Amino acid sequence: MTRYILRRLAYSAVSLFLLSLTIFLFVRITGDPTTLLVEPGASQADIDAVRQRLGLDRSIWVQYASFMASLAQGDFGQSFYYRTPVFELYLSRLPNSLLLALAAMVFSLLIGIPSGILAAVRVGRFWDRAGKVFALLGLSLPSFWVGLVLILFFSVYLQWLPSSGSGTALHLIMPAFALGWYFAAAHMRLTRSSMLEVLGSEYIKLARLKGLPESLVITKHAFKNALIPVLTLAGINLVIMVNVAVVVETVFAWPGIGRLLYEGITFRDFPVVQAVVLLGGVMIVAVNLLIDILYAVIDPRIRLER
Amino acid sequence: MATLHVGHVPALSSYSSRQCVRHDRHPIRSTRRHLLALLALPFLASLPAADAAAKPEGQLTWGVHVSLAPLWFDPADTQGMITPFMVMYALHDAMVKPMPGNPAAPSLAESWSMSPDGLTYEFVVRKGATFHNGKPVTAEDVKFSFERYRGTSAKAIKERVAAVETPDPHKVVFKLKEPWPDFLTFYSSATGAGWIVPKAYVEEVGEEGYKKAPIGAGPYKFVSFTPGLELTFEAFEQYWRKVPNVKRLVFKVIPDESTRLAALKRGEIDIVYSIRGELAEELQRTKGLTLKPTVISAPFWIYFPDQWDPKSPWHDPRVRQAASLAIDRKTINEALTLGHSKLTGSMIPYGFEYYWQPPEPTFDPVKAKQLLAEAGHPKGFDAGDYYCDSSYANLGEAVLNNLQAVGIRARLRPLERAAFFKGYSEKSYKNIIQGASGAFGNAATRLEAFVVKGGSYVYGSYPDIDALFQQQASEVDIKKREAILQKMQQLVQERTIYAHIWQLAFINGAGPRVGEAGLGLISGHAYSAPYEDVTLAGK
Repeated sequence: MTRYILRRLAYSAVSLFLLSLTIFLFVRITGDPTTLLVEPGASQADIDAVRQRLGLDRSIWVQYASFMASLAQGDFGQSFYYRTPVFELYLSRLPNSLLLALAAMVFSLLIGIPSGILAAVRVGRFWDRAGKVFALLGLSLPSFWVGLVLILFFSVYLQWLPSSGSGTALHLIMPAFALGWYFAAAHMRLTRSSMLEVLGSEYIKLARLKGLPESLVITKHAFKNALIPVLTLAGINLVIMVNVAVVVETVFAWPGIGRLLYEGITFRDFPVVQAVVLLGGVMIVAVNLLIDILYAVIDPRIRLER
Repeated sequence: MATLHVGHVPALSSYSSRQCVRHDRHPIRSTRRHLLALLALPFLASLPAADAAAKPEGQLTWGVHVSLAPLWFDPADTQGMITPFMVMYALHDAMVKPMPGNPAAPSLAESWSMSPDGLTYEFVVRKGATFHNGKPVTAEDVKFSFERYRGTSAKAIKERVAAVETPDPHKVVFKLKEPWPDFLTFYSSATGAGWIVPKAYVEEVGEEGYKKAPIGAGPYKFVSFTPGLELTFEAFEQYWRKVPNVKRLVFKVIPDESTRLAALKRGEIDIVYSIRGELAEELQRTKGLTLKPTVISAPFWIYFPDQWDPKSPWHDPRVRQAASLAIDRKTINEALTLGHSKLTGSMIPYGFEYYWQPPEPTFDPVKAKQLLAEAGHPKGFDAGDYYCDSSYANLGEAVLNNLQAVGIRARLRPLERAAFFKGYSEKSYKNIIQGASGAFGNAATRLEAFVVKGGSYVYGSYPDIDALFQQQASEVDIKKREAILQKMQQLVQERTIYAHIWQLAFINGAGPRVGEAGLGLISGHAYSAPYEDVTLAGK
């Protein structure tokens, strides 16, 4: 078991190293940040001075070595734009992203699971088709559009909800829905297929033969077993929600990590982009590692395989 | 009584005046007048003291389009862009700065003078001006702020200054190594070197501490800041010019344009920046909201980088003139900026020092076709690529359609902003470039960057124009220098080195709670300023 965990840890370390290298190189391919930090028409001397101040006048490998050396000490560097330590910025935004992700997850599960169950129970009928349309819309409608329609309807016309920002529960409703719908569609699809699989199993047939009421068969026997893969997916999706709500956070001016990433990309703020992507990677790798270890604890075949 | 002084300050037509500017009122010499004044005092005291007693009230909230950065709290870090001045006009004050009706208004400097040889500038620091911590602004702070300055053009300005002397707490003397006619342009508006920070406080809290809790001498005090999200200021009632009208100013960052407009409509914010196209039309249509366009110091143009290649059609000035005549600027302006941009025939912003007023650009497609035919292109020609910053691709599309209509066929190549300017400065484009500049400075600094040999964005040059530039650089006589720089602009226009489009209007909006939004008060400034003049409706 220890060897298995060590091996998984080594894989994780390699993944993160490759991620660091990839993001470091990719952000630099996008262009020179100094051109965004000075007004068009600025003199070459000014552009060079900014470049020197940001350390961008050094060779790319020297920059990478310096970045990795700082990273080893837990230092993600200073934001080019904000001139503050990136990790401080990240931590200041993380609680907002966690809050939004949790609210969005509640939305997505509250919508996705019941509609998935209904679609499975009424397979091929109206509710199944309605569920499919709902899932299709959730997956295909761009979240910026959903966000703007929500703002237009609930903020501008009905005047019920604040259009943007944070601070109260009312501020959370629209961004959580806009983010949650996409994931609700995925949860609905998985709940449906999982329920269909469970409903076709022998023990469900036996429960029905025993004369148990259909509601009890579905809620007590089928749903409990069908829920396991949905919750596993929800766990991974929660981590993804924290890290990828770029569009939703931007549209609703929600002060989270996604918006920080958007700002980082907009201003070619390399340290910010690197830190957000890397820390997001760390979260995803950690969750996967945890799942791998749990699987290994549950199933001895996994930990014994070479 | 410093507030009274402002009303009596004569507007300076140009900062370069050699005369020492005095703003003190004539002292009352007559004893009889003294007595009359003393007798009148009890009566005056019984009158409602309007301005003196006026206390700042209420709050105004801005919906800002860009992320606010702590870098903007410190004038020492001012980069060559206009955005930080959105914050600096609230938090800080400068010795000399652009103000309504005056591009170089005395602020923390009560007056200044230049020696006849152009080597010495003497500034008198305003008595009674204090920082937010109550400490007076002194000559030492002025010297410290200049020496600490490390932002845009820091090298250019410091290289030319031999020494900064402070003979007394209210006098600062800048000694130049050689005459530099642009010294005051750089000191007052092209850099942040003339914006004053408190020496003792900066030394006490350190550089990082200063960015976290900045103190300035401006009309508003720093209250709180959440990086990239929200910034709050509170009125500084001891501000020398006047007591600000509004108690609290809040700047909220709302990156999405539609969301900003929605927030304005709901009354969540009072003033909104940068609303374009259809959304601006909607703002204009919405009852209770007011469109507040400001024409900023950012002219747009198309540039013909191949004009120095004898094989290129652009080598012929008639072709370049045809391109200029083909552009329907008025229609484009109405479609994209609701007619608020200023059509111009110059690459120098209106109001810049040494600006030459060019003839109004005309739209004449018939003459454009005729010129093309005379130049040997009766059926037009394939003009290749039209490069532009993708943020302004809508302008590019419109211009391209106009060119197409007279037979100049080109393909739009919108590039992301950073990539576009990188390619532009590296001289890697051909055919047509749609360019713009919002950089600070004067006509000379613009011409240097865009027209004269060796300039950052110059693909080729004309020897006579280069020679004129060298000539003006060492010319101390203001009038002669102005004549040379205006001649240069005239030549740029006559040769159609550029086809000018417009000076961009930055479209903003205000809600019903706003009295004076402060937008457009300072010529060429995109944002609300001066903040002490901003008012709530009915106040």
